[in-house]
Amino acid sequence: MTGSVASREAVPRGSRRLLNRGLATVVVATGGLFAASLLFASSSVTKGTLLTMLPFASALAIASLGQTLVVMQGGIDLSVAGGLSLYVVIVTKYPAGDNARLWPAIGIAFLAAVGAGLLNGVLIGRLRLNPIVATLGTNALLFGGVLWYTSGIPTTTTARLARVGGGTWLGIPAPVYFAVAATALVTAVVKLTPPGRRFEGVGANETAALTAGVRVGRHRTSAYVWAQVLYCLAAVLHAGIVNQPTAYEGNNYLLPTVAAVVLGGTSLLGGRGNLVATALAALFLSQLDQFVLALGVTYATRQLVQAGALAVGVALYTVNWAAIARRLPVRRPASVRPT
Amino acid sequence: MRTKRGGALLALALTCGVAMVAATMSLATPSAAPPWCGPKKIKLGFTDGFGGNSWRLVTTASARAEAEKCPSVTSIDYADGQGNTQKAISDIQGMVAKGVDALVVFPDAGKAILPALRSAYKAGVVTVPYRVTPGGKAGVDYDVFIDTPFSQAGENWGKWILRVLPKGGNVLMLSGPKGNSQGVEENKGLHKILDPSGKYKFIGEQPFEVTNWDPALTQKVLSAAIAKYPKIDVIVSDFGPSLVGSLPEFNKSGRNVPSLATSDGNVLGCFWQKQHAKNPTFKLFTVSTQNDHARLAIDWAVALATDGKKPSTTHFPSLVFEDSTTGKPHPVECQPKLPGDIYLSAQLPAEVQAKLVKK
Repeated sequence: MTGSVASREAVPRGSRRLLNRGLATVVVATGGLFAASLLFASSSVTKGTLLTMLPFASALAIASLGQTLVVMQGGIDLSVAGGLSLYVVIVTKYPAGDNARLWPAIGIAFLAAVGAGLLNGVLIGRLRLNPIVATLGTNALLFGGVLWYTSGIPTTTTARLARVGGGTWLGIPAPVYFAVAATALVTAVVKLTPPGRRFEGVGANETAALTAGVRVGRHRTSAYVWAQVLYCLAAVLHAGIVNQPTAYEGNNYLLPTVAAVVLGGTSLLGGRGNLVATALAALFLSQLDQFVLALGVTYATRQLVQAGALAVGVALYTVNWAAIARRLPVRRPASVRPT
Repeated sequence: MRTKRGGALLALALTCGVAMVAATMSLATPSAAPPWCGPKKIKLGFTDGFGGNSWRLVTTASARAEAEKCPSVTSIDYADGQGNTQKAISDIQGMVAKGVDALVVFPDAGKAILPALRSAYKAGVVTVPYRVTPGGKAGVDYDVFIDTPFSQAGENWGKWILRVLPKGGNVLMLSGPKGNSQGVEENKGLHKILDPSGKYKFIGEQPFEVTNWDPALTQKVLSAAIAKYPKIDVIVSDFGPSLVGSLPEFNKSGRNVPSLATSDGNVLGCFWQKQHAKNPTFKLFTVSTQNDHARLAIDWAVALATDGKKPSTTHFPSLVFEDSTTGKPHPVECQPKLPGDIYLSAQLPAEVQAKLVKK
């Protein structure tokens, strides 16, 4: 109940502005980053590097869209690591190099995704468990599945999938098309269709949605299911991009997906989601990775710069800059007065 | 009392049975037991700090195959620490409690394992750690440590680089996590051979670019290096198979794949066979991935416990496996029908390995 009161206060006032601010911030930050890349590490924006960075950014963008849907419902999905790892091993191990078995493998992976999503959804949407605890449990379960299925042994990607993940269509890496299509589709469904509007309404104000007769539990559950479906799509692409994926690829997605959601300006309290901004934030994070690599600094510095960028990004939205700014001019006359 | 006697009788019968089976086995095989296999009957234990990848799977199977050569070994127990130091320690203690006579340990957690090794050794179990140093001293904390000089791999790569790039060039080295001892030692060996000529420049982060042996990170690191350095003449890596997803980055940037000095893996050999015609600069040299290191450790443990003949060395050497330029000791090998993650340099037959990793 307290959560809904907080969101009631937070959302209606600033939601419109937050949407614009999130997108504007990410666009400016990404533009700035590419400009900095050109100036300080031009090798990070060569054709070859971009062709490597964009597929990873695309997979991250798709997974981050899933995370955004969950965050829009005031939740968080920590099972992205286990889920992604499981779908990667299903689409690599089940076909074991046989192109003919690739489609069935992708089918099984998506079924597993729906199953994992339903589990999360029922635990959180119906049984009202805390999202952190519930998804942490599901994550452990999914990793158990990974170990049971593979004993931790990776399998090389099927040639056909590697062609999609590593290939280019009209000079642009194929995964980019998937990311753009997924972003457009999810945005259209959430922003333009009645169920999408109801979905956003539930996240923004649960009490109001309940009063209006919206089935809150069902919408909340659906967020977790769609999130896993998007992770699964990201996993299929990731398996194609990385020819020899390990059994634990999902670990590389846990922090970045949450970071992309936060940088994209979606409030962790739930409500309106900035899906396009999330996808752009994924691009920002991937390019940041490549930029710092190209600077040629040590591994330790690389980690520090990435952490610093994330802290700045989070601070942009969470610190109440307006309040700080309001306080500053008050102090100045006070210090001026004695003279 | 009666049950005890019954138990003793059963044990006697079992021992006789095992001895008879062993005897028939040794009769069946024309070659007699190897010299390291003495007459004393023993139970053997084998513990791994982490067993969850294809390299470990092949290594464990190699150890088992080696132990099975000796009829005096009546049972072989295996435990996988699953990357959990606490479990690895309790696995060792469990083996001692089970009454094994000899114990071979892959001490992934290094010094954290030493107290467990020491207590096993003090309990009278022949204790043989290998590959990762647990600290401590042979004869005080364990019987003998079977090491491999990683710098030797670096020296092997260095000598090959001197031969294929006599005019010098830019060398890019990739290894696992920052500061890992394997990468550091290999780098020392490489410098020892290449530095005197003064013609080779080491590029990228020193002593090596950090990849965590993770294929996705390797891909990003390599593409950044390709963009940053217009000229990379040779790549040195201690995990060849992880490069397969990354090497096409050179072609994406409109360049040829350079020479590669690394460790072997079926997927890498097959990649070379497909790519070398298109990339004339792509020469490949591999050292063995050393799955058979476990065999030397088993030989030692069994020799000490069964009163067999001790092997002549405690060092497992870095062996050259493939060289695409000379075909010696082996040309680049590829078994296209078998899985990518098997190691043709291992003694264990490729088909057996394929069954293991496909399970």
